[in-house]
Amino acid sequence: MAAMPNVEARGQATFDCASEAAMAAETKASRATSTVRLIGLTKTFSPNIVALKGVDLDIPGGEFFTLLGPSGCGKTTLLRMIAGLEHATGGEIEIGGRAVTHIPAHKRNVNTVFQSYALFPHLSVRDNIGFGLRMCGVKKPDIQKRVIETAKFIKISELLDRKIDQLSGGQKQRIALARALINEPDVLLLDEPLSALDAGLRGELQIELLRIQRRLGMTFIFVTHDQQEAMVMSDRIAVLSDGHIQQVGGPKQLYERPDNLFVAHFMGHSNLFPIQKHDANGVYTELGRIVGRFESGTHMLIRPETVTLTPGQSEGDNHLSASVVERIYRGSVAEYRLNCGATELVAKCNNCGQDMFEVGDTVTVVVETDGLVTLNE
Amino acid sequence: MKNTGFYLSLRIFWYLVVIFLYLPLFVVVLFSFNEANTAARFTHFSLKWYGQLFSDDTVLGAFKNSLILAITSSAISTVMGTMLGYGMYTHRRRRLGWLVWLIYLPIVMPDIVYGISEMSFFTSIYNMLGILRPGLGTMIIAHVSFQIPFVALLVYSRLVGLDAKLFDACHDLYANGIQRARFFILPILQPAIIAGFFLAFTLSIDDFVISFFTSGPESTTLPIYIWSAIKKGITPEVNAIATVLIGAVLAVAMITMAFQYVRSASTTSRA
Amino acid sequence: MSDTGTAWQAIDSRPRQRRISWDTWHLLGVITPGVLWIVLFLVLPSILLMGIAFMTNGTYGLPQMPLSLDAFKQLAGYGFLGWSPGNLYTVIRSVWQTVLSTSLVILIAYPVAFYITTRPAHLRPLLLLLVVVPSWTNQVIRAVGWMNILAPGTPVSNLAAQLGLITPEMGLFPSKFAVVIGLVYNFLPFMVLPLYATFERLDYSQVEAARDLRAGPVRAFFHAVLPQTLPGLMAGTVLVSIPAFGMYVIPKLLGGGKSLMLGNLVARQFSSASNWPLGAAGALIMIVVTLIGLQILRRMSRRLGGDIEVVL
Repeated sequence: MAAMPNVEARGQATFDCASEAAMAAETKASRATSTVRLIGLTKTFSPNIVALKGVDLDIPGGEFFTLLGPSGCGKTTLLRMIAGLEHATGGEIEIGGRAVTHIPAHKRNVNTVFQSYALFPHLSVRDNIGFGLRMCGVKKPDIQKRVIETAKFIKISELLDRKIDQLSGGQKQRIALARALINEPDVLLLDEPLSALDAGLRGELQIELLRIQRRLGMTFIFVTHDQQEAMVMSDRIAVLSDGHIQQVGGPKQLYERPDNLFVAHFMGHSNLFPIQKHDANGVYTELGRIVGRFESGTHMLIRPETVTLTPGQSEGDNHLSASVVERIYRGSVAEYRLNCGATELVAKCNNCGQDMFEVGDTVTVVVETDGLVTLNE
Repeated sequence: MKNTGFYLSLRIFWYLVVIFLYLPLFVVVLFSFNEANTAARFTHFSLKWYGQLFSDDTVLGAFKNSLILAITSSAISTVMGTMLGYGMYTHRRRRLGWLVWLIYLPIVMPDIVYGISEMSFFTSIYNMLGILRPGLGTMIIAHVSFQIPFVALLVYSRLVGLDAKLFDACHDLYANGIQRARFFILPILQPAIIAGFFLAFTLSIDDFVISFFTSGPESTTLPIYIWSAIKKGITPEVNAIATVLIGAVLAVAMITMAFQYVRSASTTSRA
Repeated sequence: MSDTGTAWQAIDSRPRQRRISWDTWHLLGVITPGVLWIVLFLVLPSILLMGIAFMTNGTYGLPQMPLSLDAFKQLAGYGFLGWSPGNLYTVIRSVWQTVLSTSLVILIAYPVAFYITTRPAHLRPLLLLLVVVPSWTNQVIRAVGWMNILAPGTPVSNLAAQLGLITPEMGLFPSKFAVVIGLVYNFLPFMVLPLYATFERLDYSQVEAARDLRAGPVRAFFHAVLPQTLPGLMAGTVLVSIPAFGMYVIPKLLGGGKSLMLGNLVARQFSSASNWPLGAAGALIMIVVTLIGLQILRRMSRRLGGDIEVVL
């Protein structure tokens, strides 16, 4: 926190955004200002295009929250509505317990990091970072001081006097982050900020973003379509599809206990089998009978890393006979596509140096009931 | 595509076209320094025609009129064209197809129709109401009307080239409408606005037909002066006036080129 | 520039009705001055001029009631002394000289635009500027330049005379040849610019595919290159042929009274000949041609990806 801009400078600000900021500073300890609440939020672009169909969300202060979904699911629209860049057709938005639904973006103490960075090409890096403070009427020396502090915090001090077109994608990303963070927003919104970067840099920045969020304790709302990225970074994730929230939960919950087929597919699961019959002792699927106590549902999810493969055939409850169709070697794991019952199953085995199965081998799939989830369509 | 013969002939063709484009201008400049009063032969280098020019009150008056016309009309059209281009951009999702017609009309319409329309319009108004007497005022009005579209298109294309999210970023970073105009839109449009002003300026200096038909007896500009002078034949004096005008336009072209260069240099370094 | 923007203002005001109207006010606020100026001082005068075409010629050449089609009859050659082909010849000559010079412009501009695209990217704006700069000088001055070059006794005229193309005392100016040269010279940049715009985004993989399929260079050109540059070609043709059709300065200065075009005919009716309705009728033809051209241009700009700035 030390590196972040101080509170007095905020207090001297004279514009309307300043009073809000001062208020934000006072209550910073409790973080009460940075909760976000969405109540029945809807957005209609034209009678035919409904982007959001009633979204309810509670995001506690200091959380790293991710909106995850395929393109066109409404996640960016939702983010823009929190920022104030899009007008809500219906419902309410509260930030820090205060209704902001009809407050324009420049009066909300919320900042955004845009996917395209949106750095001003006519300004230097220094002036880009200081832009928000300048608009709030903060005095020049104070802006200078805080720009230097923030740059140090984000580790971009050496870039301050560059022009925008002399920067790489990763550098632009950091500057966009600095430009938003310097304003000490109640909530920081990030709209797929890493999607334009290559894989290596992306992983690096993911971790760094997470560390920054932890150090500041600021509420981050992050938009992405990449479930891996969402799982790495988030405290909680909301999966969106078609203008609805499908499920909200922590990464572990979403991955291991998806509520429905859409969430399961989106979290990368492929072992989903329709349940043909459900009785007191188990279920019947295309794989065969699986014994255990399951909640009711239309499908069964078997995570590929929860099954064990043993060579040859063996008998017993939840021992399924299968043959290897394909083997994909991924280094740390070996992935097998198996013919099992009337369908196909994917299994992942940790690579601890054991022999691998060959295509055509007959194996027994041992299903651990702990890893099984039933879910609805 | 390794056909070097093809590319060689293409290159030679290009040089021929450049000669074709600049030969007439070169000849005008050359013969303005000719001592003899003929375009057939260059005898001696001389500045005497320029001396004559700058002591001729009619020419100086026409020069002054040309400048007043060009500067005033460019200033007005730069303001209006910038606003129009900005409006076209901000509201580009609306049905503004009719605006494209309006923008292209002055660009495509033959000069003579333009000039005649305005002449009959201004004369009729003058005869009926006694205002808009043909003269510098009507010329400025006419020039502004054909300069506006060019400025608007320059500004529009500059804005279209920008990331639309910049407007959001402005708004997100607490800028209200006035601050946004002052700290973002105007600075970012500055090169386009300056280029638009110079383009409007050259269009005004370049125009003859529309000026000719909207002018009054006291508002002779340099092109109109040349027009009436060459009825008596091409003299070195005419060439000298023409050279002055070419010089003015080339100077403006240089400035524009410098702007272009600065802009393209800043965009190529990004790659 | 006044207060701007759409999104945040939209949020300021709750009722949907007011939101729309604010946006519309903003639109009107920024475009009204420019639009009003063009409508008032160009569109309105053109409409009035078209009205004059349907009036009768009065005593001092000023239009009078009643409405009639006299002016159009005169344009077709029916005068007080029966039919004479003079006016009709002028119209036909205008069409012919426009077609000829536009074709020549295409033949010259096409290789030029292509050549510029083969140069390194940072040189291209400068090369384009090199093509455009002469057109920034005054029309009259450019005509004076050609008068200097083509007058009797100049090296070019002497060369032509020695080749037996003309008699020595004639010179190449004034002549129809000089008019066509002048038109080509005047309008070349207006063809190069839109053509260059299409060449710049030419998809060369189509050319390679054609060559790969054993098409000769000629067939590759007609199948892979020409269709792609057609929008630019069309836009350029509109930008060249319509102003050329109404050209006034060049036929007057370089044609020497024998090669007058429609523009000169119109102008004469408003000065020495004093027949405003006849002049307006000629202008009306040009306005109609202009509107047709505008429609083509709009189509082409849409096909060029909606860039309405293609002209620049």
